[in-house]
Amino acid sequence: MRNLLKLVFILLASTLVHAHVGSADVYYEGDAGPYHLFVTIRLPQVIPGVAEIQIRCASPDVQTIQVSSLRLSGLGSNLPPVPDVAQRSKDDPQFFVSNLWFMEFGALQVRVQADGPKGTATLSVPVASFARRSLPMDRWLIAVLGFFLVFLTLSVVLIAGVVVRESTVPPGEVPQLSNRRRSRIVMALALIMVALIVFRGRASWNVEAATYKRNVELLKPPQAETTLVDANRLVVRPASPLMVPLVGQNESVSAVKMDEVIPDHGHVMHLFLIRLPGMEKMWHLHPDLIAGGAFSEKLPAMPAGHYQVFADIVDKSGFPWTLVGNVDLPEIKGSSTIGDDSAWDGVRLTPPLSESKVAQLPDGARVVWERGGDSLKANVPASFKFRVEEKDGSPARGLEPYMGMAAHAQVVSFDLGVFAHIHPAGSISMAALDMAQERLMPQSSSGAHETMMMDSMPSTGSLPPKFSFPYGFPHPGDYRIFVQIKRSGQVQTAVFDVRVQ
Amino acid sequence: MSQTTVPAALPVQSRPLVLTEAASIPRALWLTVTGITLALVGGTWDFAWHMSIGRDTMWVPPHVTVQLGGILIGIAAAYAILAITLSGSSAQRDTSIRLLGLYAPGGAFIAFWGSVAMFASEPFDNWWHNAYGLDVKMITPPHGLLFLGSLAAKVGAMAWIASAMNHSADPLLNRLRWLFLVVGGLGVAQFAKLIVVATFTENMHTAACYLAVAVFIPSVLLATGWGALHKWGCTIPAAIYTAISLGAEWLLPLFPAQPKLGPVYHNVTHLVPMGFPLLLIIPAFVADLLLQKLEQRSFWFKSICVGPAFLLSFLAVQWPFANFLMSPASRNWVFGTAYFAYGDPAGFSYDPYKFAGAEKPALFVVVMTIAFVASIVTTRFGLAWGNWMRRIRR
Repeated sequence: MRNLLKLVFILLASTLVHAHVGSADVYYEGDAGPYHLFVTIRLPQVIPGVAEIQIRCASPDVQTIQVSSLRLSGLGSNLPPVPDVAQRSKDDPQFFVSNLWFMEFGALQVRVQADGPKGTATLSVPVASFARRSLPMDRWLIAVLGFFLVFLTLSVVLIAGVVVRESTVPPGEVPQLSNRRRSRIVMALALIMVALIVFRGRASWNVEAATYKRNVELLKPPQAETTLVDANRLVVRPASPLMVPLVGQNESVSAVKMDEVIPDHGHVMHLFLIRLPGMEKMWHLHPDLIAGGAFSEKLPAMPAGHYQVFADIVDKSGFPWTLVGNVDLPEIKGSSTIGDDSAWDGVRLTPPLSESKVAQLPDGARVVWERGGDSLKANVPASFKFRVEEKDGSPARGLEPYMGMAAHAQVVSFDLGVFAHIHPAGSISMAALDMAQERLMPQSSSGAHETMMMDSMPSTGSLPPKFSFPYGFPHPGDYRIFVQIKRSGQVQTAVFDVRVQ
Repeated sequence: MSQTTVPAALPVQSRPLVLTEAASIPRALWLTVTGITLALVGGTWDFAWHMSIGRDTMWVPPHVTVQLGGILIGIAAAYAILAITLSGSSAQRDTSIRLLGLYAPGGAFIAFWGSVAMFASEPFDNWWHNAYGLDVKMITPPHGLLFLGSLAAKVGAMAWIASAMNHSADPLLNRLRWLFLVVGGLGVAQFAKLIVVATFTENMHTAACYLAVAVFIPSVLLATGWGALHKWGCTIPAAIYTAISLGAEWLLPLFPAQPKLGPVYHNVTHLVPMGFPLLLIIPAFVADLLLQKLEQRSFWFKSICVGPAFLLSFLAVQWPFANFLMSPASRNWVFGTAYFAYGDPAGFSYDPYKFAGAEKPALFVVVMTIAFVASIVTTRFGLAWGNWMRRIRR
């Protein structure tokens, strides 16, 4: 009955891991018609909150930028609110900044409209909107409200007492004993009433705060549960149902149905297994959806070990989720990876960090990270440029689209607190981007959508040997970056280690 | 309109009333009522702002208007308190209450408390919206504080006016009485706003709608009616509420507005009003008629007659009127049933021209029974409140 034996490993997500695995800000590079834009969206810590939208134009001809936010899909995704006009930097006329209110949790989009001598054009950037914490109350506000609470409580009791004692007393007369007695009773009643109101208000406040806190927790990276079946088939599912808060119905939530997840690059799940603690092996696999809301993948050959799991899916609203966990696997006697699946076997992380700018590919070519000698800074948006060279240093030939893109990259911090799956278009989910562009198509000026599709979905033939990833490291630390390309039918991975200040 | 000569239900006075020295309405009272009116205008505007524009900070014009109203009330009340305390005549002090060495009519102290509560609610409300969102719930602690403050301002203003009325003779008394009725009408409008969700057109065939009206409307209406000593003391405030609501319904859409926040379901191009007013004027008229007939009866007897009659007459007119409001004939600028807030999923996730499911028959009867009992209790409370205002001397 060996084939009936199941090895079940319930994965425990690290409590240090943050929502969407530590990289909430959105980086996007694309074209609004004739204008090439680099868009950075700094997500607020608290929703509702003000997001900072930074836009860098590649050319100086953009005169004005307007931004607005709306839902990515469903009701409310067609009519944008009145856009905000971004402020143009006086020092750098190609740089625009706007503050934009994000009111809701869930899959949103930011519409960017650029105006210039070449006309008006629009692009749309999907955003996963979620809060990372509840809004605390400032000390000064606590002091002010505390003062008012005490003042209003004491004064209402005093006023009620005096009014009952004296208000009906004719001029020149003194309050009767009965008035005084009633006054004391009313003061006591007023105090009780105030206490009840404050108590009731506090209870209502607690419910609201608890609901908000729950919503924050709901949208954190969910735990993954993995099961090894038949010795070589890994089944991945959320450890508990993914729930999203229903907007406008404060206490209500709805479950994300796994059979409604939408394909991203043609796959319903992108599963990354990274061997720990050295990160010297990495697999990028694509499980299929199976019955029961789970995803199943027949594993390639893998050595026994402890693995970090990151599993990307996109729900039907366009909201990206990353299931997080880790798993101990026995040796897997499988075949080598095929199709879009890929594997990498390289150097184990050993302190001190050795930064690398050139990475060797299995076929002898190499990938060069074109960056200067300056150290990288956290939270600084940048277009990280790479080129692929043949052994002799000439530009590489034969690069093919890998799942429709020129390249993919996974950014993983050494402490596993950050995981981001990025592309030449940016840190957004490409499935969500497609949804945003579809919404935009009837409204955009000619060219915007077509340009986007060319960037994100190259057709066939050899691709240029250069590509870039718009991104910003979320905080200082050491990172390993897996850059994946496809060449001569083979997915190949180049790995770079970097320290971010 | 003729005035009643109904004698007040006053205890025998031990000495003649001292007539007020002022020949006109004190400026502080005018200022207070102006503040109350501004706050109500700001509140109505704020509702429309939320439904049409959405973006909300402490400094949006409706909030500023509400706070300006609150500040005016505070200034007026503080002025009255300080003026009488520091330089008031003995007659003025004789018609004042004394609180911690301060002298003023009791209503001024109550109104001042209300203005402070209104003021305190603003930063609290701003933080609340930033923390938990906009319009998720209407009844929130900061909104509750604003409501209480605004209500206290009206209660205080009415008590203040009542004390002046009780020292005055015509023609000043008549002017004060009208001011009193106006504040009562603003109070009715405030309570009507409080129950706006329960009284949405789609809820008008539920018992909960009538329970909400029974709980919140008779008190202020009867207090005004009985306290005013006017033959049509209930009808006039109800008419004022109706006029205010119709004014908002017909004027607000004349001002352009567009949503500044998503999600946007409707392409709003102008300020969206709250909706056609409740037909409270009819039950108010019935209440006045009954109060005239039952003048000599006890308060409880009046309550047992007036409360249910109020509710029954409201039911008799509002229920069929709701059918009209659901019909295409009402979808025009007069009745405004084709206006929708930008974030209202009307027509998408629900049919706005279909009544919400009424309670099951047994529950309907239970809730309606509770509503009738509530109407008696709130009528009694309103009469007691009104009678207190008849007796106020300071």
